[in-house]
Amino acid sequence: MRLESRHWVFLGLFLVILLSMLLQIDLGVKVSQDTQRMHDYIENLPPGSVLMLSFDHEASSLPEIRPLALAVLRHAFANGHKLIGVALLAEGTGIGYRLMEQVGKEYGKVYGEDYAFLGFKPQYIAAMLSMGESIRQTFPEDYLGRPYDDLPMLAGITNYEQVDGVISIADGSLTTHWVEYAGNQYGVRVSAAVAAAMVTTYDPYLASGQMHAMIGGLRGAAEYEQLIHRGGSGLRGMLAQTAAHVYVILMIIAGNVVYFLNRKKGRKR
Amino acid sequence: MRRRIPQLICGLFGLVVFLCYFSSHPTARSIYLTVTLDYWQIIFAFTLIVGAISFVRVNLRGIERGEDRSYRIASLVGVITMPLLALIWGLKGGSPFMWVFENIQVPMQSTVFALLAFFVASASYRGFRARSMQAAILLGAALLMLIARSTIGDMLWARIPEAAEWVRTTPAMSARRAILIGIGLGSLTTSVRVLIGIERTWLGGEK
Repeated sequence: MRLESRHWVFLGLFLVILLSMLLQIDLGVKVSQDTQRMHDYIENLPPGSVLMLSFDHEASSLPEIRPLALAVLRHAFANGHKLIGVALLAEGTGIGYRLMEQVGKEYGKVYGEDYAFLGFKPQYIAAMLSMGESIRQTFPEDYLGRPYDDLPMLAGITNYEQVDGVISIADGSLTTHWVEYAGNQYGVRVSAAVAAAMVTTYDPYLASGQMHAMIGGLRGAAEYEQLIHRGGSGLRGMLAQTAAHVYVILMIIAGNVVYFLNRKKGRKR
Repeated sequence: MRRRIPQLICGLFGLVVFLCYFSSHPTARSIYLTVTLDYWQIIFAFTLIVGAISFVRVNLRGIERGEDRSYRIASLVGVITMPLLALIWGLKGGSPFMWVFENIQVPMQSTVFALLAFFVASASYRGFRARSMQAAILLGAALLMLIARSTIGDMLWARIPEAAEWVRTTPAMSARRAILIGIGLGSLTTSVRVLIGIERTWLGGEK
């Protein structure tokens, strides 16, 4: 097989990422205003506040979403908040439960008393709206099949009025619906931890105040890990992300140099 | 008549849900909850059945014709196996369903998604050229964001992340807002057209 230019580009990127993953260098990151705002929001909530974490993502974005979710979960558990997990995309169900269980164990939290995972409900808009009326009716049982009323931490939680905030962990446009339906109609405070590609989509909501806080991408996760003094795959992945970005920048420059040289040659002829 | 009845049902439900959305009366809330919780979910379940049957039929026909046989067989095995695993052993953590999900589906999907990085790298070399002033501006903004989103932005010059932030929160957000408002107005118009029966393409064409 004859290697074409794109194959060399692929091989170069593979080697750059592989090398940077093998090296253990902590580059450190400067914390952005957005990440600081999200951190301050969770930090300043009184202990025992109820936060609803919605795992609105697919399995494909897990390498980027996982560090974000773990950082937020660790911070919330460390501050003694009560967490309700839900998933409005089917693939987020198993992932969300596993992440909550993992971090819950790290902080010695008890399922049903400190956190609960209600599982998946199809038709996300319907689920968001009906939770505004009754969370119990929307999720009569949790993910493990235990009745809603058997979970002590859910006692007294009827709808969004008893929830201090929703954090949508998303890789797509589902957070928009949280803002439009749960936030605008029921007045619950909506924040988000989203994939980097979605950050600009939510900027207008953040600027208008319809969304309270947002962290985005691997960089957002790295900044958050730095703020909570708990290193994770966000900070570890920054070297690989930086190396890949530098590689792409060099490719753009090389491509343009070749383009302008060819154009110059063409003019001379 | 075949078109009139679905149109009437659509118009009636649309109007009822629309009015209930803005009312805080207990009856209105109850109707709203019934429609969103029960009716919507039932309709969704039926659409899933239609989708699953259609998927199986299309792939079986493909296998008969010998088109991409191995891929189609793999798809059908997945479609049949996953519900069976869920029905027999459940969906809880540690169940065979979750094992397959975590050890097969998650790595496969992440791998496919990760391939994007390689195509982006290739496209950046072969296609991202400053052919015109507009393309040069786009290129400049892309380079700025790439530098700012990695750690080199902070290292090179403290103003680089600030500049990237300005691009994100000023020109990019203005364009995004304009698009959002356009989408909102378009959705509103289309919804009204569907509710009052002017828009009928959802019924399957004009025959």
